Amino acid sequence: MDLPAGIRNFSYATDMAIFRTKTHWALLLALLVILFTAPLYWGNYWLGVANLIGITIIAATGLNILLGYCGQLSIGHAGFIAVGAYTAAVLTNRLELPFLVGLISAGVAAGLIGLIFGIPSVRVKGFYLAITTIAAQFIIIWVINHWSSVTGGFTGISVPLASIGGFVFKSEASQFYLIITITIICIFFAKNLVRTRVGRAFIAIRDNDLAAEVMGINLFRYKLLAFFIGCFLAGIAGSLLAHWIGFMNAEQFSLTESILYIGMIIIGGLGTTIGPILGVVFIRLLQQVLTVQVVPFLESTVALPAGFASGVTPMLFGLAIVLFLVLEPRGLAHRWMLFKSAYRLWPFSY
Amino acid sequence: MDELLQFVITGITVGMVYALIALGFVLVWKSSGVANLALGQLVLISAWFTYGMLVQAGLPLWLGFPLVVLFALALGWIIERFVLRPLIAQPILSLITVTLGLGYFIEGVVTFIWPWSVDALPRLFPREPLHIGTAVVSQEYLWAAAISLVLFGLLSLYFKYNKMGIAMRATADDQMAVQACGIPVTKIFSRSWMFACVLAAVGGILMSSIGGITFGLVETGLKAFSVVILGGLNSFLGAIVAGPLIGLAENLGGGYLTPLTWPGVREVIPFIIIIIVMFLKPYGLFGEVRIERI
Repeated sequence: MDLPAGIRNFSYATDMAIFRTKTHWALLLALLVILFTAPLYWGNYWLGVANLIGITIIAATGLNILLGYCGQLSIGHAGFIAVGAYTAAVLTNRLELPFLVGLISAGVAAGLIGLIFGIPSVRVKGFYLAITTIAAQFIIIWVINHWSSVTGGFTGISVPLASIGGFVFKSEASQFYLIITITIICIFFAKNLVRTRVGRAFIAIRDNDLAAEVMGINLFRYKLLAFFIGCFLAGIAGSLLAHWIGFMNAEQFSLTESILYIGMIIIGGLGTTIGPILGVVFIRLLQQVLTVQVVPFLESTVALPAGFASGVTPMLFGLAIVLFLVLEPRGLAHRWMLFKSAYRLWPFSY
Repeated sequence: MDELLQFVITGITVGMVYALIALGFVLVWKSSGVANLALGQLVLISAWFTYGMLVQAGLPLWLGFPLVVLFALALGWIIERFVLRPLIAQPILSLITVTLGLGYFIEGVVTFIWPWSVDALPRLFPREPLHIGTAVVSQEYLWAAAISLVLFGLLSLYFKYNKMGIAMRATADDQMAVQACGIPVTKIFSRSWMFACVLAAVGGILMSSIGGITFGLVETGLKAFSVVILGGLNSFLGAIVAGPLIGLAENLGGGYLTPLTWPGVREVIPFIIIIIVMFLKPYGLFGEVRIERI
């Protein structure tokens, strides 16, 4: 279907493979080489941006499995990330457990909390689920803010640097390697998940859950599984975020952050693997460029109203979400597909 | 005992305002099936616009309030025409998320124009407290409840006797049939959005005259969601009954549970109620259980 001319597959396995041609493998190799040599020519600033993007991609991939593939709307994603971040922070700071233990338990803890708030999804959907997850967000943040003997409350909690064995991820570059490796593993996991029975069940539930149930898909099990996987990835992202920033405060996980995550995967394209990546890169880069380059530049040249700096970001992002939904509901991923097929057929695109 | 009476009266009166805002949500949901998650932001921006009219422009009340209502009507029309109408017949997920984006945008506009983010409206109601039995209640709450009641009454008369109101009820019942009768459904949609915005504006003015204009108004909008969830998404009666219930739970819980749990429990009680309702009776007290077909 979208193979270049002259390529034929003679077995089912080669037809279903993610990387089907030599060009695919060459491009993959080139991408990996560029990514893993990036610290050599990127400065610390851009490495920091890349780290944030990597962490966000993990969380957005989780949300994409939940919303894009299984069709279960969650507006409390930042809350689930917070659960992961605080689990990792408490385990590594107060109990001094190793980083990897904290990472896995962060994922599991966020997944379990997600399961609890996901239970209503078995009976309701759409708006009801949206409200349940908003409620989850507020309850989680409230508990974090007030359970101060464990979480540090409003003052926050400091998190030690990540370390595996004896190696401490001290510099931005070493953290980049850690984060990018986990990000790639997560993307690979997500890509393959949707090619299995579980992934196809998710898609069936998204398209019509009644029909899916009639076909013999156990709705209870698969919806909760989607919540667990989506929130597990959120927890992993939260743990990485905690170790990367080094200091946790519940303010980092507001409702607007949750809305931003939904915006990211809508702008990127729901229900595609590339979508969250494109959306996250788009939003995070825009955020960086706006707050670091454009706004200070404008402020130094033109007299701006006082609310410009803080107001322009939500305005632009809200507008972007609305415009993408109205004009290009399939997101950047669809544009990317169009580009790819145009490129394959060029110059004879008849 | 005085305490109890005080909590009850405050709770019921504040709950009336929640019910008023929630009514705007129910209107839009019933007529067009759109879940308006930007409710809190609509409350916020209309409160700030009122501030702009009354304080910044220094207009008298008789000119300021009609302008606020006009602004709310225009806002509702614009939202329906340019955001929701292109999305008619899209999946419910896009309809929900588009209002999220809209709310985010409105929040940006508010911080853009009024960056100081906390202020107070001029005094609208007399402030000396009333003594009811042994309880002391500030008059503002009673005024707010009275205004909400009057609006409920007007709205129910409108839906019962006005031609457009009857058409709106019919649209809520069956869109196809209404279209076949020659009633312009899109006009009904925009009418319901305009009403929702006016209700949000009135709710915003009442809430901010009690507690000042803060970003807490967005949470007032979110509390209105707990009202619609408890009352049932497509029930006007549900909203009117559930509003005072939520207000009561919030004030009684805030009064008696704070020493037992953590401070700030008042703020999360509506959300805890949402979760409980979701587990026990997801379609609310008066909500209609939708039976789906493949």
